[in-house]
Amino acid sequence: MSPVITTRALTRRFGGTTALDDVGLTVGEGELTVLLGLSGSGKSTLLRCLNGLLPASSGEIEVLGVRVDRARPGELRALRTRVGFVFQQFHLVGRLSCLENVLVGGLGRLRGPRYGVPTYPRAMRREALDHLERVGLADRAFQRADTLSGGQQQRVAIARTLMQRPALLLADEPVASLDPENARVVMDLLVQVCLEERMTVVCTLHQVDLALGWADRLIGLRQGVKVLDRAAAGLDRDAVMGVYRQVAPDAGPVGDRHG
Amino acid sequence: MAEPGHAGPGPARPPVRPPVRPPLTARHARLTAAVLLALAAVVTSAVSLDVSLTAFTEGAEDVGNLIDRMLPARLDEPGRIVDLAVETLLIAVLGTVLATVLSVPLAFLAARNTGPGRLVRTGARGVITFCRAVPDLVFAVLLVRAMGIGVLPGVLALGLHSVGMLGKVFAEAIEDSDPGPREAARATGAGRLQELAAGVLPQVVPAWISLFVYRIDINLRTSVVLGFVGAGGIGFALQDALRGLVYDRALGIVVVILVIIAGMELLSIGLRRLLLTRPVAGRAAGATAPRDTVRVTAPWSRERIARFGSAALLAAVTVHGLFALEIDPREVFTSLDDIADMAGRMLPPDFTAVGGALTTALLETLAIGVVATAAGVVLSIPLGLLAAHPVAPHPLVYWGARATILGVRAIPELVLAIVFVAAIGLGPLAGAAALAVGSVGFLGKLVADAAEEIDPGPLEAVRAVGGGWWQRLSTAVVPQVVPSLVGSSLYLLDVNIRASTVLGIVGAGGVGFLLFEAVRTLNFAFAGGIVLLVFVVVIVVERCSGWLRRQVR
Ligand SMILES: Nc1ncnc2c1ncn2[C@@H]1O[C@H](COP(=O)(O)OP(=O)(O)OP(=O)(O)O)[C@@H](O)[C@H]1O
Ligand SMILES: [Mg+2]
Repeated sequence: MSPVITTRALTRRFGGTTALDDVGLTVGEGELTVLLGLSGSGKSTLLRCLNGLLPASSGEIEVLGVRVDRARPGELRALRTRVGFVFQQFHLVGRLSCLENVLVGGLGRLRGPRYGVPTYPRAMRREALDHLERVGLADRAFQRADTLSGGQQQRVAIARTLMQRPALLLADEPVASLDPENARVVMDLLVQVCLEERMTVVCTLHQVDLALGWADRLIGLRQGVKVLDRAAAGLDRDAVMGVYRQVAPDAGPVGDRHG
Repeated sequence: MAEPGHAGPGPARPPVRPPVRPPLTARHARLTAAVLLALAAVVTSAVSLDVSLTAFTEGAEDVGNLIDRMLPARLDEPGRIVDLAVETLLIAVLGTVLATVLSVPLAFLAARNTGPGRLVRTGARGVITFCRAVPDLVFAVLLVRAMGIGVLPGVLALGLHSVGMLGKVFAEAIEDSDPGPREAARATGAGRLQELAAGVLPQVVPAWISLFVYRIDINLRTSVVLGFVGAGGIGFALQDALRGLVYDRALGIVVVILVIIAGMELLSIGLRRLLLTRPVAGRAAGATAPRDTVRVTAPWSRERIARFGSAALLAAVTVHGLFALEIDPREVFTSLDDIADMAGRMLPPDFTAVGGALTTALLETLAIGVVATAAGVVLSIPLGLLAAHPVAPHPLVYWGARATILGVRAIPELVLAIVFVAAIGLGPLAGAAALAVGSVGFLGKLVADAAEEIDPGPLEAVRAVGGGWWQRLSTAVVPQVVPSLVGSSLYLLDVNIRASTVLGIVGAGGVGFLLFEAVRTLNFAFAGGIVLLVFVVVIVVERCSGWLRRQVR
């Protein structure tokens, strides 16, 4: 089984800061991987490098058989249509209806610009409604997105991702701006649809307990360096908390690098 | 037959398909009606002005002649022209400073959350609205009549008219401020003024600075034409050259004008950068300050030096301006008599001096404003979007679009009107064409700024699903800029209708010609009638656009 994601010596710098430092990892098909690390450790940077939203400074990235670091813009766009991305801040257009926001997820299948629900094919609108139904918001289809609660907005964003029918889902702190109850609802939903669609998932989380509950595998970053990479089974909370310890960067890695 | 709405187990029915079309709401219906109405207004106006492309193609030859006579540009008496240019700049600065000084208290009185009472608030708003509804050149004409030819009437005219905008937007900034800090100030036992100074002022000052800089820009454009009506500045020399048909000298003066305006534009971009960019979070100077030095004032960070320096520079320019232009502020009070006398003679207003011609002229003014705005919108949207980083496909496109907008912005409408009058003859079409081209500088910039300020999140989301350039434009950018686009277009309509009331001064149609004739022939009652009508029209347009803006928010 060929891995869905492979990176080798992935490095990304922003001026003087090295956000990702020589990161190598592989993620197999159907795996649910959780990325952990302190704020600023490079989690978002890693995810955004994976679908080419950010170019890497050096190193190799292969996602779904595409060399992201070498891909031409057209190839990158084609790849992105197959990779779902859930943002912490949802990134919905507040003025547009929920349905139209979900339809944005289908843009990769269409050519040319769209403005307004009626400009999308009818079949696609049906599909979008089904996805809204799946996240429990069918009745809000024509309501403005900015009139929903945070949890509801994230569910709309998940419906938008489902619209892509992605093979891989990248989620950047999908529940960080939600209260615990909504966080649980959204995480449940996310994991459930991923299992149903047999998607590969890479998700950053700040809640260690949620991570231990959901993940097949945990990867820890500290100041851009991978310091943990292990199967979740048999891992205890203390070992994971080590990722968050403020230690000098030259201290040894927590856990075993080859998971 | 199953009853509709019957619940529970019953005869199997095909599942009801939910609608995949947005439901038609009353709001949609109102919006559609408004759009149709606007289209009808544009078409009617265009027909009434006889808009035709042939007028422009036929005019090409005249333009050729005109350009021939303009080249090569000549700068006679460069010393005098430079003096006049400096005078123009100083008039713009002094007018804006005056407007700011007047607007700050007015704004606090007019804002819903700080005004002392309903009556005062309505009064303050009335003053602001009046100032806005009377075009600056009309103020200038009237004040020159009352106080005599000179610089002071120009400064006062700019100041008074600018209160109309600054007072309004200052008050809006106050109304938008967060009530939290005020409450916190009140909780410490602060007095009313303390509460406003500590809780409101810090929140609104950045917006005010940006508005002030923006207004200086606008006022500079007006101050270059104040000379046409005898209110000082370089416009006097331009008017002189045009009257004498010395077109090469006129072009020389226009070039000087373009240079000062472009210089001011660059200065204001720099000032905004300097004053309004937030220091990077987490890198505050205090974080690294050595512990043993206890400061009681903020460290001299780059931001603080910039703020302090700009304020000192502004104060110095203001004081220098008062001396250089030999303005005696007391003169304002000594001439109050004359101003009041003239205002008195405008009452009661007379609408009948020219019979039906007044109605015709007024409709023509409206038509010029509408057509110019429509054409301006069509030209500005693509240009403005391309001049924004999230949209521009290439840095060259970005800079090209920016430069075009800046170039157009630098040319005052009246100068454009002179060119178009030369090209397609006296009349309203020349006025409409001039305003339409001028609109690009104004609206193009607003569109570009709005597109720069969109939330980048949706843009990234569309990128993440594999959307291309057109798709990013239509699904992430356009929906976010539509409200401000509608707002700015309506604002442009306001501006163009006001501008079209003064185009008559160079023979480009509309009610302005009647107004200047009335003042010239000392028929103040008729002038009063026209000012009143312009006032009413501007208010009505403003109300309508306010309603529309609320519909698309
Ligand atoms: N666009 C950027 N420009 C400059 N520096 C950046 C940029 N994006 C990220 N960085 C820097 O890269 C480092 C990693 O940031 P990143 O956003 O990946 O962290 P994170 O692990 O996602 O943190 P959080 O948990 O707070 O979201 C940080 O030091 C950050 O300041
Ligand atoms: Mg992050």
